Amino acid sequence: MISATLLLASVVGQLLRPDTHLLLFATDGGAVETQVSSTQLPKQVAALLTEKDASGKPIISDDLRSYLQSLPDHTVGLIGRSIDLEMLASADHLKILLSLKLSPQAAELVFTDNCIVCHTDPENQRPHTLFSIDPPKDRPHLNLKEFLSDTHFRRGLSCAGCHGGSPTDKRMVDEIYQKWPKRDARQKDRTWIPEFCGSCHSSPGRMRQFNPSLPTDQLAKYRESRHGILLLQEKDSRAAQCVSCHGVHGIRDPKSRLSLVHPQRVPETCGRCHADSSLMANYKLPDGSSFPTNQLADYRRSVHGKALLEKGDLGAPACNSCHGNHAALPPAVASVAQICRTCHVANGTLFDGSKHKQAFETHKWPECEMCHGKHAIQKPTVEMVGNTPGTLCFDCHAKYSQSNPECNATAAHFHQVLTALDAQAKVYSSQTEQLAERGLDVAPLQESLEEFDEAFVKARTTIHSFDRGTFDAAAAPGKEALAKAQSWLEKARREYRFRRNGLLASIAVMVFLAAVLYFKIREISSRS
Amino acid sequence: MNSETPEKGLYGWLERRYHLSSLVHFLRHKEVPLGAHSALWYYLGGTTLFFLTIQIASGVLLLGYYQPGESTSYESIRFITTKVPFGWLVRSAHCWSAHLMIISLVVHMFSTMIIKAYRPPRELTWVTGFVLFALALCFGFSGYLLPWNELAFFATSVGTDSVKSVPILGQWMLEVLRGGPDVTIQTLYRFFALHVAVLPMAIVAIVGLHLIFIQRQGMAPPLGHLKSIRSMRFFPDFAMRDLLLWLICLIGLTTLAFLLPYGPGIPGMDWELGKKANPLAPAYPGIKPEWYFLWVYQLLKEFPPHVFRMEGPQAALLVVTVLLGVWALVPWLDRNAAKGRLSPAFTDLAVAALLFIGYLTLMAWDIGGHQTGNAQPDAQAVARTTGLLTIAVGVATTAARILINRHRWFVFSGAALVHVALHGLFGLPYLTAGVIAFWLMVAVLAALLIHSRLQARRAQLVQGGPP
Repeated sequence: MISATLLLASVVGQLLRPDTHLLLFATDGGAVETQVSSTQLPKQVAALLTEKDASGKPIISDDLRSYLQSLPDHTVGLIGRSIDLEMLASADHLKILLSLKLSPQAAELVFTDNCIVCHTDPENQRPHTLFSIDPPKDRPHLNLKEFLSDTHFRRGLSCAGCHGGSPTDKRMVDEIYQKWPKRDARQKDRTWIPEFCGSCHSSPGRMRQFNPSLPTDQLAKYRESRHGILLLQEKDSRAAQCVSCHGVHGIRDPKSRLSLVHPQRVPETCGRCHADSSLMANYKLPDGSSFPTNQLADYRRSVHGKALLEKGDLGAPACNSCHGNHAALPPAVASVAQICRTCHVANGTLFDGSKHKQAFETHKWPECEMCHGKHAIQKPTVEMVGNTPGTLCFDCHAKYSQSNPECNATAAHFHQVLTALDAQAKVYSSQTEQLAERGLDVAPLQESLEEFDEAFVKARTTIHSFDRGTFDAAAAPGKEALAKAQSWLEKARREYRFRRNGLLASIAVMVFLAAVLYFKIREISSRS
Repeated sequence: MNSETPEKGLYGWLERRYHLSSLVHFLRHKEVPLGAHSALWYYLGGTTLFFLTIQIASGVLLLGYYQPGESTSYESIRFITTKVPFGWLVRSAHCWSAHLMIISLVVHMFSTMIIKAYRPPRELTWVTGFVLFALALCFGFSGYLLPWNELAFFATSVGTDSVKSVPILGQWMLEVLRGGPDVTIQTLYRFFALHVAVLPMAIVAIVGLHLIFIQRQGMAPPLGHLKSIRSMRFFPDFAMRDLLLWLICLIGLTTLAFLLPYGPGIPGMDWELGKKANPLAPAYPGIKPEWYFLWVYQLLKEFPPHVFRMEGPQAALLVVTVLLGVWALVPWLDRNAAKGRLSPAFTDLAVAALLFIGYLTLMAWDIGGHQTGNAQPDAQAVARTTGLLTIAVGVATTAARILINRHRWFVFSGAALVHVALHGLFGLPYLTAGVIAFWLMVAVLAALLIHSRLQARRAQLVQGGPP
């Protein structure tokens, strides 16, 4: 009741608070008008605020006025200066800039930069030079929000940094027109782009001013890449260059999930060209066959693709992990195995010491890829090894090494041991779940099964040695772990039987007592 | 016993000192009334007391091993359930008994409401019972956090957060309850102190008062049977029946504790230990409180963010406070029962309360929501299915009341069913449906009042009395 009284009293109190009345009129234009006019705005800015649209409503909404009011005096002064310079001449133009709701610091940068102020004026710019919040779909580089999020802009490198001129210029100076090739020429021939970006990114001295930890070898690598060779040597402007992967006017740090080269977006970015069959039809593989376009689809359903794109494991490889970034090239046969070894070291070492190593070298086979594939690599299963048709071992040996019974026996042994262990572990695992549901302590059992899982993975890995002795030694701890799990299972079952029998015995005693009580009650009732 | 003959032995020794004969005399002559309704309702207080005793006994056993602390709470509960002999049984019985106690208490409270046992002179017995109900809920809430597991941690975070809705004092109350702005180990220390010291002392005192009232006033005879009444001796007839029921409860409790050691697995009735609480881990969706708080949880969900000039949760908690206030004051509000007359309106109020709480609880269980994976169930489908279920139960109850009990008063339960139908079947927002049902109820009540006044006036005119 006390809480009820308090609640009621407080609700009434809340309703009677003076600021509650203010809230009621928060949407009232007059109230806000009074609030805004309480601070002095430069008169040229205040004049824009009074402009109205065709229907008679103020162009700058109450919300934007409040935002303008919240900006530091110096920033508001810069707006006044832009109006004086006739770069900001209409309320519609001011509305575009205010509606970005930038932080005071970013707003200060924008209103200091004459390029941005001028190129956002819808009345003075042509469609291909007007930056806006919602640009046409075929001109995404004119997205104002994207530009203001660009890592270069955030580090103080604005329009003039690439286009020339100065942010304080009051008109387009000649340098701007001379810095780049003419529009038609620069769009037809893209060879100038790597050199242009490289003018900063290949210069350690220049990069030290902005991002000292960033490497400066991108251009050198690019020149050696397939893309670089196509563009710079063969003058093929369809080949990818800096802008193709990093974008323009919205470039972000690769750690940002919005960056086109964030690990999780790399497959999609590469796929924009490599999954485009019409574009790839222009190219052939070294053997003359057509260029495949299924890499992205294969990767998405691969174990690596699922780990990166579905589970969000940023350690999983994307295209660039195997092909390289700026020096992108298809790995040569000799280097495939080395690339896989960057993560799968143990498997590589075992393979190097196996009999297969020599045979693969003789045939010039790419090691790992022969069994596991490339873009569509799946999680390995026990079914991959064995001496029956359909298994990798059998199919390959049937073709290349038919007269080796020992190999078939070894493959059969691998398959049999792993299958038996796996099946037994699955049974124990399901029994463990049942016992856990019955409230028994299964922690030691789970520990044994975890030990088994670890040993099982190791045993599976030792298949890459293709040696029975090595494999059996690795499988032994798995067998021990399962034996331990079995003894824990027995113990848990005994405990369950004890509990069940205890329950039955105690229920029997209680039922007996209840029966005695019942008959006593009947006796007393009949007496009374 | 002849008071003139001095007793020998231990009884005589005690009698000379404590005059036990008056107590024996009281017990011999104490009787339990029997009447129109089933005598079963008289046993429910006893079963609640039985489960409370089990709670205290098992709680003391758990206390022998439980160690509150960031690195010990979870571990000690694990130790109790895995290493301590019969520890699993004690914890399971403690959890099951807690839920069975609340079930028994709720049935006891509603049966008291329906048979009008709260009527004068037993108003304070009702009020102490209501306080015991509130204490039992506090026991549940404070005990929930003690294992310091993930579910308890997040459920307590969500549960305590609603305290913020109390205006002005909300933030302060939240910090007092949590021992800081967030749920931390300080919160556990406070909840532990509440659970094992403050609440037990309070409950023992109030149970004592409740029992004294019952012993002094006897059990309430059924309405309309004040004069020619049958009765049963309390001792041994009623006491032995009580004992038999307790034994049956014990058999049920033991069986449940063995067969379902972590509860039946329905939301709000599940006490599997799971993972240890990690305050830095993100809260996962679908965290729900114990089943007896689900109706409040769902009400909070159904309210929009702002209602009139209040925050949504604030308004929802105001509604809950008003409803509970009305419930606590029923002995004074029910003037018919106070005069020994039948009181169909308050019987109907109890049915309406069951329908109101039942509908919200069923919705909180997401019945009919077809949940797949982590996706939230479809709220409209849930409202439709649970609405149909509630209406079916409501219609069946009304039919039984008409045919068996010959009830003719259904305004409150009718309003509750209209509310359910408007929200569940016609898709109106919960609050809008509630407001429509409320004003409809007020209109019908006004019409009934005018009708009864006109009838009384007509009767007076027929009898020739003054107008």
